[in-house]
Amino acid sequence: MGIVIAVISGKGGVGKTTSTANVGLGIALKNKKCVVVDFDIGQRNLDMILGLENRVVYDMVQVMDGEVSLKQALIKSKMSPNLHFLAASQTKDKSILDSQKILKLVTDLKAEYDFVILDAPAGIESGYEHTIEFADRALVIVNPEVSSIRDADRAIGILDSKSQKVKDGGEVLKYLIINRINPRMVQSGEMLSSEDILDILNIPLIGKIPEDQGIIDASNQGKPVVLDSNSPSGRAYKRVAARLCGEEVALENIESPEKGFMQKMKGIFQ
Amino acid sequence: MQTKQYAIKVFEVNVTNEEETLAFLEKNYVFFRKHLISLHGRVTTKIENYLKEKQLTYIVDARLYPTKEQKSVVCTSEVEDNLKVIDKLVRSGQELKIKGDLLLLNRVNSGGSIDIDGNLIVTQIVEGSIRCRGKFMMLKASSKANIVFNDVEVDNRYLQERLNRVDLQDNEIRITPVLKETSWV
Repeated sequence: MGIVIAVISGKGGVGKTTSTANVGLGIALKNKKCVVVDFDIGQRNLDMILGLENRVVYDMVQVMDGEVSLKQALIKSKMSPNLHFLAASQTKDKSILDSQKILKLVTDLKAEYDFVILDAPAGIESGYEHTIEFADRALVIVNPEVSSIRDADRAIGILDSKSQKVKDGGEVLKYLIINRINPRMVQSGEMLSSEDILDILNIPLIGKIPEDQGIIDASNQGKPVVLDSNSPSGRAYKRVAARLCGEEVALENIESPEKGFMQKMKGIFQ
Repeated sequence: MQTKQYAIKVFEVNVTNEEETLAFLEKNYVFFRKHLISLHGRVTTKIENYLKEKQLTYIVDARLYPTKEQKSVVCTSEVEDNLKVIDKLVRSGQELKIKGDLLLLNRVNSGGSIDIDGNLIVTQIVEGSIRCRGKFMMLKASSKANIVFNDVEVDNRYLQERLNRVDLQDNEIRITPVLKETSWV
């Protein structure tokens, strides 16, 4: 039986979809079978980030309605044979989701894959509630700024009261990813530090992703940064994937990184 | 003939500046809705018209004889029976509604709220909103918090940096630091 992980944030635009793509691919590169599912019905994006835009024929709504089989709708990634993708419907809206159908879909996926990663829509409406309903764990994505933290806090509160696991008396394990950290701004005090965020949200940290201009280009080209070993954010996502697979990887302190080569040179000439 | 005796809460307002008073009434309208306002000083027709329009109950230049409230807060056995101890984060969007007293051993995040009829102690920082109708509360609040104690908004400039005790003495809100030097949080 696989593990179902919902990727949530509350606020939009903090990097849910990018994180889903990178963590999913990271896990697949660790030789685990992984499927990523776009739950953002009506606003599908994950296919573009994964570079699978032109391969989408069937979507998850058609699978849930029994129009096509799961095998027909699953798309194999070009980047790893272990990674599969299930697209959201672009023409329907979130009201189409139904608990029983989702449970069947998730159970079927769990039987086949080690990791089932669900990319939640932004907001806390029905689409979000359906995404977290059958999750075993949650990856909470935040940016180091107050509105993102408060929205994530709200999303966690809903997760703790509405997921099936909690209703059965269990607990959904939550992990925090702090995305778009700008080391310079954290040091100057303009950006919230990781300690402050952890104090507020009170869930374990699984990764810190530095701000990276390369992400935009990577997304546009449909090549997740996790493939690029020169990219600091790509390496950070790789570490998150390793941690999710149960490996012990020490947290890197990206907030006060060592000086780069150029800065060292500048230091010598000053 | 039938008579009844009530103990009611009265807000005394001394009018010196018309504009200022109107602005004050407007801002705190929600609190005044259910209370009696006693006006003194230069009460203009504009103020009276405003009060009538908003259907607020008021009296002008009335002589009132306030009784002094109990000075010290005594923890009676009733209070102890009602005490709840919670060690859970109050997250954004969550609301704790408590009838008795509460000891909260965690924080109240921005967007979270507590509505309590009894006394309240929060041992970690409050960033959300508090509605407390008890005899006292003890807390440390950030500047983002919104704290209302017995229908009066507490200025949280005085609640920052340390654990404070807030209580009513002679119908006035008193804020005293609990521990002067040591920080709880």
